[in-house]
Amino acid sequence: MRKEGVFTELIQEHQALLYKVTSIYTENKEDQEDLFQEIVYQLWKYFDSFRNDSKITTWMYRVAMNTSITFIKKKKRRPDSVPIADAFLKQSDTNDDAYDERLRLLYQHLKHLNTLEKGLIFLLLEGKSYKEIAQITGLNDSNVGTKISRIKKKLKTNMAK
Amino acid sequence: MELEELQSAWTQMSDELNHQKKLTNQIILDMTKQKYQNKFTTITKYETIGAVVCFAIAFFVLLNFGKLDTWYLQICGVLTLSFLIVLPVMVLTTLKKIKNIDILNGSYKENLKFYLKIKNRLLRLQQVGIAVGFVGLLFIVPVTSKIISNKNVFLTSLKTEQYVVFTITLIVMVFFCRWAYKGYVKVTQSAQELIQELE
Repeated sequence: MRKEGVFTELIQEHQALLYKVTSIYTENKEDQEDLFQEIVYQLWKYFDSFRNDSKITTWMYRVAMNTSITFIKKKKRRPDSVPIADAFLKQSDTNDDAYDERLRLLYQHLKHLNTLEKGLIFLLLEGKSYKEIAQITGLNDSNVGTKISRIKKKLKTNMAK
Repeated sequence: MELEELQSAWTQMSDELNHQKKLTNQIILDMTKQKYQNKFTTITKYETIGAVVCFAIAFFVLLNFGKLDTWYLQICGVLTLSFLIVLPVMVLTTLKKIKNIDILNGSYKENLKFYLKIKNRLLRLQQVGIAVGFVGLLFIVPVTSKIISNKNVFLTSLKTEQYVVFTITLIVMVFFCRWAYKGYVKVTQSAQELIQELE
């Protein structure tokens, strides 16, 4: 299969991952679209350099999170983004109010975290082990453990308010 | 909301999202292509505007070529037309080559290397253009002076204010050329950095 086909298949398969990263790091639909597009572009740009010494999802998480951090640092609107909102950017297709409310609360709590904390809690919510989180973020295992316990404490305090 | 609830809401959202496969191949490819093309948008815009201005002036000179009534003014006219047409055509041709780079075929690195090669050619072209531009004043001024105010500068002595205007034009040109050339260097450098990033 051509590179183009392999790449689109990869994005198709893991579009939920990209959506979730963008939803963590942005606060409005326009920024989310821009970030989504930027991540796809960066993944394409570095697609040739991916080596099979790590899982493809580990590589994708790493590129997506690094791109997100750079994106929020720049924090400027990018022109001419492809409108993907109608095609994809929906948290839910259901009409479940209780579920929507839980999601709203979830994002509200995550909003209070800083960039690194958001990334770490995101990976934890994704079910990643401390070892995997360390691989993706470049931190060491024990550092990940310490930081995550602090984040959990911070979240608990915020939730209790 | 407890931490466990946070996790369960996230898991539920993940499950739902995994069932949503709404991105088409075309959308994904468009996103990739567009980001690549956006990098060249600004420079393309300015170069196109510059070329259009040159062509418009060339058209104006061509329409009034009959007013150049001596052999030396006609030579100046031909040189002016060549300057106004050849250089922008070369720039636009180079730009077309850049635009025709198909990011989806060949590696990104190869594409950027190709881009840098063309861009460097463009940079040299601009250096030549600036040099010719200053020399060009010697034949552009007589042509425009004859066409606009029907004066043959080779036969009339210039007044003080005309010397002033000529000097001011030269100074403005120096600053403009420096500014424009810096812009080109910046873009070329930025492309080079992109290649280095990939290595």
